[in-house]
Amino acid sequence: MAQLLEQFINGLVLGGIYALIAVGYTMVYGIIQLINFAHGEIFMFGAYLALMLVTVFNIPFWIAVPASMLLCAMLGMLIDLVAYRPLRDAPRLSALITAIGISLVLQNLARMIWSARPQLFPTETLPAFLISEVNMQTGEILNAIPLPGGGILPYRDVSILLLAVVLMIALNRLIYLTKIGKAMRACAQNRVASNLMGIKTNQVIAVTFAIGSALGAVAGIMVGLSENITPTMGYYKGVAAFAAAVLGGIGNITGAMLGGIIIGLAEVFGAGYISSGYRLAIAYIIMIAVIVIRPSGLFGKSTANRA
Amino acid sequence: MKDKLTPKTITFGLLVCFLPLLMYGVDDIVDFLSQYDIYLGWPGGEYMLRIIVRACVYMLLAVGLNIVCGFTGLLDLGYVCFYLIGGYTAGILMARLGVSYWIALPLAVLHGTVWGLLRGAPTLRLTGDYFAIVTFGFAELFFRIVRNEQWLVGAPNGQLRGIPSPTLFGITFSQNWHNYYHIIILLTLVIFITYRLQHSRVGRAWVAIREDEQAAESMGINVSRYKSLAFAVSAAIGALGGGFIAQFQVSISVPFFDFWESILILCMVVLGGMGSIRGAMIGAAILGSLGEVLRPGFIIPYQFGNARYLIFGIILILLMRFRPGGLSLKKA
Repeated sequence: MAQLLEQFINGLVLGGIYALIAVGYTMVYGIIQLINFAHGEIFMFGAYLALMLVTVFNIPFWIAVPASMLLCAMLGMLIDLVAYRPLRDAPRLSALITAIGISLVLQNLARMIWSARPQLFPTETLPAFLISEVNMQTGEILNAIPLPGGGILPYRDVSILLLAVVLMIALNRLIYLTKIGKAMRACAQNRVASNLMGIKTNQVIAVTFAIGSALGAVAGIMVGLSENITPTMGYYKGVAAFAAAVLGGIGNITGAMLGGIIIGLAEVFGAGYISSGYRLAIAYIIMIAVIVIRPSGLFGKSTANRA
Repeated sequence: MKDKLTPKTITFGLLVCFLPLLMYGVDDIVDFLSQYDIYLGWPGGEYMLRIIVRACVYMLLAVGLNIVCGFTGLLDLGYVCFYLIGGYTAGILMARLGVSYWIALPLAVLHGTVWGLLRGAPTLRLTGDYFAIVTFGFAELFFRIVRNEQWLVGAPNGQLRGIPSPTLFGITFSQNWHNYYHIIILLTLVIFITYRLQHSRVGRAWVAIREDEQAAESMGINVSRYKSLAFAVSAAIGALGGGFIAQFQVSISVPFFDFWESILILCMVVLGGMGSIRGAMIGAAILGSLGEVLRPGFIIPYQFGNARYLIFGIILILLMRFRPGGLSLKKA
C-alpha cells in the first residue's frame, strides 16, 4: 500500500513534467499544424543551460531557472524564425522534415558542447529544501513529509507539482483572459482569416514558440533535479510528452495537461508492475492506440481532416 | 535509366562488374610504390570494398523507403524496423537454428512483408503527421522487444554473434568481394522490380494517391489496396537489406537499428529527391560514404562522437529550405 502511494506520487510528478512539455507540442500544433520535433531538444537545452549557469557561471539556482527559461524562449523563437517561417506555405512534409533536422542539429550540438556524459545538478548549487534525506540512525526526516506506511514525500516533488500546477493555471489564464491569448486562439481557428483581421500572425506564432519553449525549459530543469541530464533525454521524454499531447487531443491545451498526468501514471505503474524494460514502450503503445482508434484524442473534438 | 547501350552506360556497367579487381589493383600499385617510399593515403582495397558494400545496402534501403515516402507521399519514420526484422529473422534462423542462408533470406523477407502489411492495416486512414508518428512508435516498439526479450536473441541487448556466411556447392561466401557481387545482384533485382512497378499501372496509382488521395479514389483507384502493396514491397526490401547485413556483419546488436538509422535513410531519400529511384541511390551513395568519412576519429575528433548527424541535420534543413525537390533537377 505504501509502495502504491509512493508510485502514485511519482507518477503525478512525472505527469506534471510531461504536461509542461506536452503543452509546448500542442500549442504549436494548434496554430501551425506542425509536430515540432525540436521541442524535446529545447527541453533538454533548458536543463543543460541551467546546469551551465549554476556550475560554470556560479549563478544562484533561483536566477538560473528564469534565465534558462528566457534563453530557451529565445531559442524557440530563433528556430521558428530561421527554419519554420520560410516554410509556412510549403507542404507539411517539408516542415516536418525540417523539424527532424533541427532536432538532429540541437541534440548533437549538445553532445559537442556538454559531452554525452550524464550529469546531475551538484547538490551544493541547489537550494537546501530540494535535497531530502532520511537519517538512518535517528530516523529523522529532512525536507520531506512522512507518508503513512513508511515512505517519504520529498519537498522536491511537492515543489515540482506545485510549480507545474501554478504554471498551468497561469497559462490557462493567459490564453483565455489576455489579448495575446485571444489572438492565439484566433490563429488556431483560422490563420489566414486572423491575418486579414489585422492580427500579426507571425508575432503570435513567435510568442507561442516562446511560451512553449519556456515551459519546456522548466520541465527540463525539473527532470534534472532527480534524473541525469543527457543529450538524448529530450528525445525520450519528448516522445512520451508528445504521446500525452496526442492522448489529450492535439491542439487542446487542457487535454495536454490531463494527457501528461495519465501518461506519467501509466509509465510509472507500467514500469513498476509490468516490466521496467518497457517503460517508454507503454507511452508508445498508448500513443499508437489513440491515433489509430480515436485520432482526435480523449478530449478533442473530432475533426474530419486530421485523421 | 533508359534501355539503351550508350558508351556511358557500358563504362558504368564495366566499372560495377570489375570494381573489386580495380580495388585490389590499386592495392598492388600502392604496394609497389611503397617500395620506393612513396605513400598514398589509400586505406586498402578490402576496407574500401566493405564501405562500398555498406553504401550498396543503404542504396537498397533508400530505394525501398522511397516507395512509401516518394511514390505514395507518406512520411515513414520507422523504416528501420523492417531492416531490424529482416536482420534478426535471418540472423536468429542462421546462428541459432542452423538454417541455410538461402532459406533464411526469403523467410526474412516474408516476415518483413507480413509486418509491413500488419503495420499498414491500421494506418491506412492516416495521413501526414499521424502516419509518421505511428511508424515511429512501431519501430521503437520492435527495438525494445528485441532488446528486452532475451529468450529471442539469447543474449542481452540483442547481441547476436556468429552468424555464418552463406555456402553454396561447398564454397563459403565470406570474402568482401563475394559480398560485393552478392549485394550488387540483390540491388539490381530490387531496382529492376521497383523500376518496373514505378512505370506500371501500380506506380501511376501510387503517384495519384500522393497527389490527391480523394481524387484518386474517385477515379476508381482502390487506395487501400495500392497503399498496402506499397507498404508490403517497401517492407520486403527493408527486410532483404537486413537479411544481407546480418551475414555480412557476422554479429548484430540493437543500437545498429536505432531511430537515427531511419532518419539517415530518410535523409538519403530526401537528398536525392523524393520519388526518384536514381535520386534515392545517389543520395545513399553520397551520405553512405560521407558517413564513413565523418566517422569519429577520422576528420572529426573522438570527443565529438557522432557529429556526422549534426551535418545530416543541417543538410535536411538546408534542402527543405532551398531545394525541397532534392539534388535532382526535377522540381517537386
